[in-house]
Amino acid sequence: MILVWLILILLLGGLLSWLASRWNVLLARWIALGAVAVNFVLTAGIWFGNPVPVGWVAELDLEWIPRFGIHFHLALDGLSLLMLLLTFFLGMLGVLCSWKEISYRPGFFHFNLLWVLAGITGVFLTMDLFLFYFFWEVMLIPMYFLIGIWGHANRIYAAFKFFIFTQASGLFMLLAILSLYYVQAQQTGVYSFDYFDFLETPLPFKTAQWLMFGFLIAFIVKLPAFPFHNWLPDAHGEAPTAGSLVLAGLLLKTGAYGLLRFVVPLFPEPAMAFAPWGMLMGVIGILYGGKLAFAQNDLKRLIAYTSVSHMGFVMLGVFAFTELAYQGVVMQMITHGISTGALFLLAGMLYERTHTRDITRMGGLWKSSPALGAAMMVFVMASLGLPGLGNFIAEFLTLNGSWPANRLLTALAAVGLVIATVYSLRIMQKVFFGPMPQTWPAADLKPREYLIMIPLIAAIIWLGLFPQKTIETSGHAVTEISLKKGGSR
Amino acid sequence: MEDTLQTIQSIPLEHYIWFSTALFIVGVIGVLTRRNAIIILMSVELMLNAVNLLLAAFSVHHGDPSGQVFVFFIMAVAAAEVAVGLAIIVMIYRNTGSVDIDIMNKLKW
Amino acid sequence: MTSLIIVSVLAVAVLYLGLFKYKTALLPVSVTGLLAAAAMAAMDWDLEKMYFSEMMLFDNYAVAFSILLILTTLLIFGLSRNYFEKISNNVAEYYALMLFALAGGVVMVSFHNLAMLFIGIEILSISLYVLAGIRRKDPASNEASLKYFLMGAFATGFLLFGTALIYGATGSFNLAAIASSGAFESALFRAGVLLMMVGLSFKVSVAPFHTWTPDVYEGSPGLIAMFMATVVKTAGFAAFLRLFLMAFAEASAFWAITVAILCILTLFAGNITAVFQDRFKRLLAWSSVSHAGYLLLAILAVGFSASSAVLVYTIAYSLASVAAFGIMILVSRARGNDHLDSFNGLARTNPFLAFTLTLAVCSLAGIPLTAGFFGKFYVFKVALAQGYTWLVVLAVINAMIGIYYYFKVIIAMYMKENANAVAIQLNPGFRLVLSIVVFLIFLFGIFPGLIANIL
Repeated sequence: MILVWLILILLLGGLLSWLASRWNVLLARWIALGAVAVNFVLTAGIWFGNPVPVGWVAELDLEWIPRFGIHFHLALDGLSLLMLLLTFFLGMLGVLCSWKEISYRPGFFHFNLLWVLAGITGVFLTMDLFLFYFFWEVMLIPMYFLIGIWGHANRIYAAFKFFIFTQASGLFMLLAILSLYYVQAQQTGVYSFDYFDFLETPLPFKTAQWLMFGFLIAFIVKLPAFPFHNWLPDAHGEAPTAGSLVLAGLLLKTGAYGLLRFVVPLFPEPAMAFAPWGMLMGVIGILYGGKLAFAQNDLKRLIAYTSVSHMGFVMLGVFAFTELAYQGVVMQMITHGISTGALFLLAGMLYERTHTRDITRMGGLWKSSPALGAAMMVFVMASLGLPGLGNFIAEFLTLNGSWPANRLLTALAAVGLVIATVYSLRIMQKVFFGPMPQTWPAADLKPREYLIMIPLIAAIIWLGLFPQKTIETSGHAVTEISLKKGGSR
Repeated sequence: MEDTLQTIQSIPLEHYIWFSTALFIVGVIGVLTRRNAIIILMSVELMLNAVNLLLAAFSVHHGDPSGQVFVFFIMAVAAAEVAVGLAIIVMIYRNTGSVDIDIMNKLKW
Repeated sequence: MTSLIIVSVLAVAVLYLGLFKYKTALLPVSVTGLLAAAAMAAMDWDLEKMYFSEMMLFDNYAVAFSILLILTTLLIFGLSRNYFEKISNNVAEYYALMLFALAGGVVMVSFHNLAMLFIGIEILSISLYVLAGIRRKDPASNEASLKYFLMGAFATGFLLFGTALIYGATGSFNLAAIASSGAFESALFRAGVLLMMVGLSFKVSVAPFHTWTPDVYEGSPGLIAMFMATVVKTAGFAAFLRLFLMAFAEASAFWAITVAILCILTLFAGNITAVFQDRFKRLLAWSSVSHAGYLLLAILAVGFSASSAVLVYTIAYSLASVAAFGIMILVSRARGNDHLDSFNGLARTNPFLAFTLTLAVCSLAGIPLTAGFFGKFYVFKVALAQGYTWLVVLAVINAMIGIYYYFKVIIAMYMKENANAVAIQLNPGFRLVLSIVVFLIFLFGIFPGLIANIL
């Protein structure tokens, strides 16, 4: 039952916040923050009660549309648990960072923000594929509004591009889900959208391959992997800070989560057959994303392209089919959520101070705002994979796990780390050091911004120094997934 | 009465079908090519009469009266339709002074 | 059956009310009568009664669609307060003609004989010819009326010729007798089916017989266009499906491919043309053409819960159309036209209207949490069950195109500004109807089982 509450609290919180904003804007912000915080506490409670979850920690299965065998089926395992913790953690920061930034229609803003989070929560929890598609789409519209209403100059175009890309790919997934439903009904006579039923269904290879592509297209557009990354820089670049945070930190993760949760376990043989291509797409993403990141002058677009590069590691790891690589992927999802989220937050703070996103117009900011610079330094280092910070563990595990699968591609992916160093240091160089092209109002971090940054820094260092805790949490779920490899059913 | 029935039945059914079809097609061509609203209306009536003839022929052929009843339905409804149609045409004539449908081109996609 | 009598008597009564100048009584009487009609229709549930020597059959299909038609008309009447008074002196005729049309619609969903199908269609159509042209001095309205009339009469010709041929092949007008005649191979029968399909395609605006739709919708008064898009479309499709389900189902191998081709043509014609529209009413008209395409998908799935899919889809579509057309009426009245730019800044001046329209448009586009999503899902599902994968893929591509143009109005409302826009005043009728629609779209979007299990 707690799983429904996680979603309901967000939905109701969003509505309440919208209503409250008619009387008191501050109250609306507090309601939004409170709703996400409650969820965070609840999820953390589950985690402390169950630090090494085995199997499904919590489950809820209600009939929704019995005529079609559609259930309201939610379940939580170690992987979902970690993703939810990340969701609510970043969700709180998203509300906090909008505290001053969003003054235009704040109630509606928080409504959308919380509904996106609700959709994401649903995606991470649901075990019924119809419901999965439902939540997958539910998160789109509010996100569309977040970008389109509160974004920067080119927001309408960016929002639209985001929506069309993800919606179009999502419809292919719907088609695949429906076909899977009928293929299963033909084979077993069971009309059901349930994940666990699908796991049991043997599929002919050809059919499975087509169905897998339906799922794959939705997930790799969302991820995004190399040829489909086109929407991402626009959407990330134009979104308001909280929007970029949610996009980079959470929405991309739903793609990675989908690959792990659905593509690999449901279609193991075709996924194996696709693996070399998948890994190749990952490596191209790593290198090409890195190269483009280096060429950007717009800070938010730059960070967006680093996302493309980092998500390449996810592709690489998922299609390496080793448990180690899967652990790396899970770590990468979390650490990338935190580090890139933090970079977007910092970019937002810089924008509030300088009113530009162009890094060639910044410079020498270290003098006026050393604390901001220090925070930036931490996450830039995390992004380039400095040992001791979370991303290093993730990338190390992924590369280590991919090595047995394909040595050449893994070696090429490792080159990506060098590129990461180059573009990451360029950020520091251009923004905080060097000559100051104009004098900015001296303003270092304010208390609210400290409140945002300190947990993030603590989290990334904690993940870097004590990754064992996280790995244990997702360990069982990841082992389950990796056992599916090579037609074990 | 028996006489007429026999006379009708002495002509093969195919002839009725082909004749009605020809009449119907004349009506269709009239609707598609004529530009005067009243002539179009008359062409539509021609189509309906082709149907009536066909129904009567089939009715006799099957020895089933319901086809002829249907003809009465069609005649009654067609009369209502023509009444409304002529009213619409009169309304347009009052506003524009013409019944040419080519002047009806204010609405374009 | 009682409901049909109530609706017909109500229409006559309303005419007399108009004659004796009881203008204020028109709306209350109509609403009460319609509520009674809906209640009486519900009483027929599960009775499966035949009337007039098997000319009409009130089965659950007929009851469900009758109630849908009656309730949609009720919603439209809810919006009509002070609407007709502004464009005409003879308000009673509006109500009477819409009620007559509704009676025709009820006949169309409950026929069990081709004669009743014909009569139902004509009762509906003749009332609408008049309604489309009721703004007598307005050239656009005249043009709409004439186009609708000529096209409608032309289509009736095809429908009747098809009926005659089927009668010739099978010797009966009775649906059950046709279905059991076994004459499906004869050329007469096949030609008859195709001609009836053409005739019905005109009526429900299926491409390539759809060309009248946008002109007629645009020229007609907004509420009448709303009536055409909801009640007439629903009745048309219910009749289409009923005919093909009850009479021609056995011959489906023969006509299915034709329906599939019509479906693709309709989807592409509707959606692609809608992309280029910059007036909201025309956009809705073209989108209504495209929705006919999705409904054809369901018809392909004969017997395979097709009627349930069509019911769900038409419920969702009618609700969304009532909201979309309603707000279009308000905006074009307040801002002078229905150009998409007129919607700029609506989110700031009228958050409720903007929200309602967003919801309606999302429902039309088939976005989850709205009833429309489930409607689309359902028709895709039944078509896939019949193995029309390629067709569903094309339909999915069209759904994407649809999202593109539906979102233009959302962009206008939320992301563009209009500095001198003032808030639009809503009368209580509008507020009530729109609230009901919002509630129902959400309700059926979240608990689709409520409507999916009716049939």
